Amino acid sequence: MLRRYFLVCCFAAIPAIAAAADDIVVIVNQKTAVNKMSRDEVINIFLGRNRQLSSGVTALPLDLPSTSPEREQFYSRLTGKSMSEINAYWARLIFSGRASPPSLVHSQEEAMQMVADNRSAMGYVARSKVAPSVKIIFELHPE
Amino acid sequence: MINPFRKGILFGTTISIVGTAFCVSAIFILMVAFVTAADTRKDFARHMDELLDTVESTASVACFVEDKQLAAELVSGLLKNRVVSRVVVQTADKELARGERAGSYRADATPEPMVQAVSRKIMSPFSKDKVICEIRMEPDTREANRLVWENIYFTVSLLALQLFLVAAAVVLIVLYFVVRPIRALSNNLHSIDAAAGEKLLSPKEHQGNEIARLTDDINNLTGILVDALQNEHQLRTQQEINEQKYHSIFDNAGSGIFIADVNGHISSFNRSFVLLTHFPVDEHGQSPKLAHAPWRDHERLMEAIRVCVETGANQSVDLKLDTEEPCWLNVILTDSGNDQVQGVVSDITQAKQSETTALQMAVTDKLTGFSNRLGLERYLPDAIRHRHGEPLAMMLVDIKGFKQINGSMGMSAGDTVLKVVSSRLKGCLKNTDWLARLGGDEFAVVLHGVSTQAAAESVAIRIIGAFRQPIEIDETSIASGCDIGIAFYPTDGADLPSLLRSAEFALSYAKTTASKDFQFFMPEMVVTAEQHRKLETELHQSIQRDELRLFYQPIIDLQEGRIVGAEALVRWQHPTRGLVPPDAFIPLAEETDFICNIGLWVLETACRQLAAWQAAGQQLYLSVNVSARQIPDALPPELILEMLKRHGLSADALALEITEGVLLSDIAKGVSWLKELRDAGFRVYMDDFGTGYSSLSYLKRFPIDVVKVDKSFIRDMDEETNDRVLVQAIIAMAEALGLQVVAEGVENECQISLLRQMGCRYGQGYYFSKPIPANEFDLLKQKGIYLPSPKSSCLT
Repeated sequence: MLRRYFLVCCFAAIPAIAAAADDIVVIVNQKTAVNKMSRDEVINIFLGRNRQLSSGVTALPLDLPSTSPEREQFYSRLTGKSMSEINAYWARLIFSGRASPPSLVHSQEEAMQMVADNRSAMGYVARSKVAPSVKIIFELHPE
Repeated sequence: MINPFRKGILFGTTISIVGTAFCVSAIFILMVAFVTAADTRKDFARHMDELLDTVESTASVACFVEDKQLAAELVSGLLKNRVVSRVVVQTADKELARGERAGSYRADATPEPMVQAVSRKIMSPFSKDKVICEIRMEPDTREANRLVWENIYFTVSLLALQLFLVAAAVVLIVLYFVVRPIRALSNNLHSIDAAAGEKLLSPKEHQGNEIARLTDDINNLTGILVDALQNEHQLRTQQEINEQKYHSIFDNAGSGIFIADVNGHISSFNRSFVLLTHFPVDEHGQSPKLAHAPWRDHERLMEAIRVCVETGANQSVDLKLDTEEPCWLNVILTDSGNDQVQGVVSDITQAKQSETTALQMAVTDKLTGFSNRLGLERYLPDAIRHRHGEPLAMMLVDIKGFKQINGSMGMSAGDTVLKVVSSRLKGCLKNTDWLARLGGDEFAVVLHGVSTQAAAESVAIRIIGAFRQPIEIDETSIASGCDIGIAFYPTDGADLPSLLRSAEFALSYAKTTASKDFQFFMPEMVVTAEQHRKLETELHQSIQRDELRLFYQPIIDLQEGRIVGAEALVRWQHPTRGLVPPDAFIPLAEETDFICNIGLWVLETACRQLAAWQAAGQQLYLSVNVSARQIPDALPPELILEMLKRHGLSADALALEITEGVLLSDIAKGVSWLKELRDAGFRVYMDDFGTGYSSLSYLKRFPIDVVKVDKSFIRDMDEETNDRVLVQAIIAMAEALGLQVVAEGVENECQISLLRQMGCRYGQGYYFSKPIPANEFDLLKQKGIYLPSPKSSCLT
């Protein structure tokens, strides 16, 4: 069972390595008043501490599927933690119900779409996926 | 008596070990308690820390998102621990959660919290250097103390148990390895009899270890002790034996032994001491003194003891006892230190008696029973002292002619005479007078209280009378007499020697005085004696000084009227006295041996004269007088022959005249001497024949040639018929024996004619010539001798 899981992990890493050279960028709606965000502001929003933007708008963070290499690269580059750690973090918080994790989207395209459609939505994608309909407010360069 | 157990090793050891263990335990337990308390507190703090560790990540998440519910969950989780009393989760601006456990105690309830509260700063989960909150956790102090004490109790109990077990083990080990074997040894020691040689056995389990060595040591020691005891016992036994021996020697010693101090107190004495000294033991009981014995002179003994103690030198003292039987004791004192003397008493009564007897013998003349000279010497000074110098008369009595009696009749006859006269002498004296025989025939008589000549004279006359009584010996009656010399004390001598000398002077004077048989001492006698002595000295020098002269008295042939020879007579031409007659010096010379020198001189001179005559063609012979002292050794025949030979003379030229007395002392020797002379060719003349004590039988026994009839017969021959008969008999007898006869002392014609008639051939006397020097003799010879006619007669 473990062996299988390990194999799966190895195979799963292949596309991630392939995409490693690409920046992960945090995007918001073009209409949003915020143009630039700090790393802590991004962490606070994506890890449930607060959802209020500086413009006073409640942000709606979006998460890529757990199998997405961009999601792993995003959290890894943002907090230095692995996905399992991020998952354990959320496991503790979910129990009390005081904070909730970002909403799940199925792909980068959907994330792009949601951000483009919703003024409070905030998502992350590979730079190559960024369309002009969204605004990049934070960049995570490869390490 | 103390309980033996309390003195035992076990008890002591146990007490020591338990005490030591207790003290050590107390210290250790205290230390362990402190350490345990500290450890427990440290553990407690670590435990709290670990609790915080477990909640740290959750707290971080809760604080990050400020999730109160999660924080409260966390707090309640922590409070489930009993050690936690209160938990506070505090963010920067507000308290996120707080909780307290019911029934818990906190540090603020106790003044000094044993465990401090713990607080921890919680970091943001996404930023390692950003503090987002702090958790403060306070301990339950009661629980903390409970834990501490629980640990202390446990640890201490364990330690105490350990120590107890160790102490018990030590006690048991000591009991087993030390106490038990020692007790076993002790019990064995009590049960064995070391003196009988039994040995101590070491316990089996302890073969070869210290206990076994101790056993061996004890055995060795007991061996040594037993040996020492045996030696000691032997020594004591020996000492007892010795003491008994010495005691027995002391008790049974023949000598009396005592130990006394300088005051005469006796501390010890034996049986012999009591017997010897007649010591009255019972009367004086506990404090006997030497003075209790009946000493005659106790003070001498005490003096000897004092001297012995002072000088340390042995003292010997002879003491007499005042007992019925005469008893003499000798006491030898030895200084034994501490002012004490050891005395050995021995009975010397017998020795004293024999000493007394010997002394008695020494001072007594055996023959007469009188004292001897020594006796007199002892007696007289004492007597004078006891009589306080009372005057006394000392008589010396000498028997007349005793030598002749002794010589002619033998020593036993002399002894008889002595016995007889001594008893007569005793009869003449009082009891208080003292008699002594001084030697030979000389007696000393001490007349006490006699100081006058008259008193002494009466005694002397009585004695002389007694001596004159004839003495019967072997049916022969001997008439004797005595001479007495008398001296008085103190006028004639203040002590015995001088008194005796004075008496001797008087005696010798009495001897020479024919008229009186006793003489009193007179000082002039000393002078006379002095002269006598001087004369003697001078006489001894006479030959050397050529003062002797030889005179010749012719011997006439009465038939032919011619000189046939001469008798050589010695004279002394004294430088001051003139010509000394022979009577005055010959006896003097006889007293000493000087007569022998004179004899030789005479012989030599006579030989010279004979040689001279022979040279002158004169045929004469000389007769020479020989003294008794010269016979036989001082005048051996060889000497005379040698002398004659030297002068070229023959033996017949010389005749030797001897008197009868000459031969009496030793007849055998005298006779052999005479024979030798006659064999050599000398003629021997018997001088002074008819006087003295000799009998006619001597004429036969003595080998002589010529008899010279003594002048006393010739002198009275013309008047006394007896003498004439005697002379006639002598001549007849001589003729019968073939001897020639010379008549001495011829003084007148009458005698000549009588002698001729009797047939006497030769004569000598003043009628013809007195002794004359040689030159006169030569003249006389030339002149010739006139003889009366043969027919003339003086008898009518």
